[in-house]
Amino acid sequence: MASNTMHSRLTSVALAFAAVIWVSPFSWLILTAFDDRAKNLLRLPEQFGVANFAEALSGMAGQQLLNSVFIAAATATLTTLVGAAAAYPLSRIRVPGRNAFLWTLVLLRLLPAAGVIVPIYFTARWLGGLNNFGVVIALTILNLPFTLLLLKNLFDTVPIELEEAAYVEGATLWQIVTQIVVPLSRAGLAVVWFFSFTGAWNEFLLPLIFSRTEAGFPMSVGLYAAFGIQGAIDYGFLAAFSIVYAAPAIGVYFLLRRNLNTGFAGVGVKG
Amino acid sequence: MLKRTLLSSAAALTMLAAAVMPAQAVSIAYAEWLASLVEPGIAAYEAATGEKVEAIKLPNQGFDTRIPLDLASGSAADVVAVDSFMVSELASSGYLEPLDDMAKSWDQYQYYMKGLLEVVSYDGKVYSLPTDTDVRMLWYNKANLEKAGIALPWEPKSWAEVLDAAQKVKDATGIENAFILPAGTKQGEAATMQGFYMALLGADVPEVGRNRLRDWAAGKWVGDSPGLRRTAQLYHDVYVDKKLGTSAINYATDIGAAVREAITSGQAGIVASGSWENSCFWDCSGEGIPSQDERNAIVGWTPWPGSGEPGTRTSTNISGGWAIALNSKAADKAAGFKLLTSIFDKANFIDWTVRNKRMAVRTDISEDPAYTSDAYLAKATALAAETTGRDTYPGYQKVSALVQQMTASILDGASVDDAINEYHASLVDEFGEENVITYE
Amino acid sequence: MKASAPPWLASGRGLTIVAMLPALILILALIYFTVWVIAFSFTNLELVGPRSINWEWIGLDNYARLFTRKGFLDSLWTSILFTFFSAIVGQSVLGFLFAVAMRNNYSGLKTAFEVAIMLGWLLPDVVAAFLWSSTLSDNGLVNTLVVKPLGLSPVNFINQFALPVVIIANIWKGVAWSYLLFSAALDSIPRETIEAAKVDGASALQRTYLVILPMLRHHIATNLLFITIWTFTYFPLIYAMTGGGPGRQTEVLPVFMYNQSFGIGKLGYGAAISVAMLLVVGFLSIFYLRMMKEPK
Repeated sequence: MASNTMHSRLTSVALAFAAVIWVSPFSWLILTAFDDRAKNLLRLPEQFGVANFAEALSGMAGQQLLNSVFIAAATATLTTLVGAAAAYPLSRIRVPGRNAFLWTLVLLRLLPAAGVIVPIYFTARWLGGLNNFGVVIALTILNLPFTLLLLKNLFDTVPIELEEAAYVEGATLWQIVTQIVVPLSRAGLAVVWFFSFTGAWNEFLLPLIFSRTEAGFPMSVGLYAAFGIQGAIDYGFLAAFSIVYAAPAIGVYFLLRRNLNTGFAGVGVKG
Repeated sequence: MLKRTLLSSAAALTMLAAAVMPAQAVSIAYAEWLASLVEPGIAAYEAATGEKVEAIKLPNQGFDTRIPLDLASGSAADVVAVDSFMVSELASSGYLEPLDDMAKSWDQYQYYMKGLLEVVSYDGKVYSLPTDTDVRMLWYNKANLEKAGIALPWEPKSWAEVLDAAQKVKDATGIENAFILPAGTKQGEAATMQGFYMALLGADVPEVGRNRLRDWAAGKWVGDSPGLRRTAQLYHDVYVDKKLGTSAINYATDIGAAVREAITSGQAGIVASGSWENSCFWDCSGEGIPSQDERNAIVGWTPWPGSGEPGTRTSTNISGGWAIALNSKAADKAAGFKLLTSIFDKANFIDWTVRNKRMAVRTDISEDPAYTSDAYLAKATALAAETTGRDTYPGYQKVSALVQQMTASILDGASVDDAINEYHASLVDEFGEENVITYE
Repeated sequence: MKASAPPWLASGRGLTIVAMLPALILILALIYFTVWVIAFSFTNLELVGPRSINWEWIGLDNYARLFTRKGFLDSLWTSILFTFFSAIVGQSVLGFLFAVAMRNNYSGLKTAFEVAIMLGWLLPDVVAAFLWSSTLSDNGLVNTLVVKPLGLSPVNFINQFALPVVIIANIWKGVAWSYLLFSAALDSIPRETIEAAKVDGASALQRTYLVILPMLRHHIATNLLFITIWTFTYFPLIYAMTGGGPGRQTEVLPVFMYNQSFGIGKLGYGAAISVAMLLVVGFLSIFYLRMMKEPK
């Protein structure tokens, strides 16, 4: 027993150390954000101030934040809904080749995003979808293969007996899904929602080439205002904006934390 | 277009829609850094015509992915800002509208420097109006050259003198980057223009294509020539044989910052770069930088010398710059051109040029006292008298990319022979045997 | 065709079909995009210039060029190294170790630790690139706190050890996924099994190796496949950190493909590279799947 406590204490120390190391690169971010005369150096602020934050929050930042929230939340929600709606039947109906189909879809995603951007762009143009709605749909399409696979696995872990019991008692399909399956798989759905959200939150290229007006750009595009011409980079702005930009995503993470851990149990499962 | 049948039906629908809907406002797309030039122009246009302009300001990064996609799909703004070397490619695809006819009725058009208009022309027609230009030279850290015992102001007359000076700096100070010659693929066009092309122009006699990437007379790209080989050898000397520079700095996450930090803090000797560095070494925006005299005490500049081979130029220069063009699919071309003249109206244009320390593209500006009173600009503009432009012919982007890859191979240690042969083979592969010429 | 559906789905057929329809449409769109890319890999389509309008079918020329021209094979090898070390060895193994270490810990330390690694995941790629470049620069954290105190001269890590640096940066960024997955998977192993192994006298190492790992075999395989696919096509971080350099040292396939498609504008060739990537990893994946089909 004594060696166990020693062991776990050692582990704790090692892990605490690891956590600190993990977070240490952020020191640059914070020091630079509060440095009015920031450069790409790790040092105490030459001129401590919040001018960078003021600059980051001025102008279109508010509008960009709203756009980011829209794109990310809409993509996450659409992905989860569409994915779950299709994954549940896929899980329950035993069709031969079901797994092969899902894995083939996943393999289709091997095409790098930069490769499919051109046809996506032209299709969106043709359909009049060169706006943030189009971005949401394009991202959902790209998310779908992984999502279907993960959610199908998730639903596989929900014991079918509960549904059978409910059916015997006369419940309709809709009731079974909404009152039994969904509550049980809430955590897994949260995982899928969260990762779709952060993926869409960080998406830069699609909104850049889709949006026809400045008012449509999300924060990921706004970040690039830090890059001037002839290779000049405004590091103070970059750091401050990054902190402001990453904050909502981190906030969402804290909200969903509890669900994430249990959620993975169902989701990342047997092929 | 790319999907002919699909897009022609889409185009038909769009035209139908356009015929039915009322005429739309003029639209413009520009990169962030041009905002201080474009936005007053927009305001003036709106005040003069009472019509709103739909403007979209795009980030500098990713601008050149977006504009070709927009133009290719027909969804671009009526007026677009582009880097000048793209003009010929875009014009040859039919995306841009020739401006000669409309420009005839604009009284300020006569002041544009002919050489610069040629850069944005294709097939004899002008396709955009230049916003600015630049010149290129060798910057050097005065303290380091003094330590090496080199007399200032430094005025090398040949490549041998440049290499010699770099070697002396390296021996005297031990710094790794005695000579920063842009190379590799990460900095894109900068490596071709500030590095390779500046050297190439002085590598052989200025006849036909001997000192260029393209032989305009023959209408072919140059695949192999003594000029190309000498330039490649220069790179080889710097990076492989004498190790006067590191390949590392050409791949820094932020190359510009790394180079600027190096030269202003004494960690570099000589840097091949351009006229914008007068401010950019400290801060491109010009804010919070030392006075001109203080800057002159730290860095100096000298024109790029020719190689020293008989018959070659004594100094070389190549200029770039941006331009603003008219979309060939603009609904109201006259209004688009009016917006252009509003942006480039002398009062607005000279104000922007002088405040941002850009180089003038028109004689009415370059001869204006407001411009000539800046000693640095006046001296640098003198270099522009003997400048040339990139080979702005469709395909140039690819050639430039191949040049960058050639320098990247040399950074990796390839021999001059291998690098040139690979370059030649790639050109033939790309454009066909009949479009590539070699010189002995 | 023996499809068996549970009765409530069979009777709610209308609803089921309506539910599956959106996914079906979107998947058809994805297939259409894929077919587009495959089709255009046989052409010389370009982004601008005459060939953006008058492109032609050139058969397998692009594919032949993959092997005859420099770039593809080197990038493929770099990609393999990068994926293997950062995803398979790095993220998976580290994620697993962290998950095991944290398994029975419910303290604030666990929260702090999870938040720490999540921060890596949540940070935008471009910012992460600058973060790492400054941390590893001559005046950065590593040189200031480790190298200099040891009496050595500062090392410019990104330039001298480019590939290891991007590998580490990618591990830092992505380990959160593996950690969460394994954490949950470990939670699903009944305590009794572990207790039984302890009672049988197995040491910690033996318990891990002989009991836990086999039970998690499918989780491991699935995770490995996912992150292999993700990492293989991952573009932003490397592009922002090194642009593929120095030279070609970190030019992984997505960077190579991006340069060909948008840098040079050769969309046809870029498409061929994409298809080649798909084939390579597809082939490896079939291998994976076979492995997973083994009897328990």
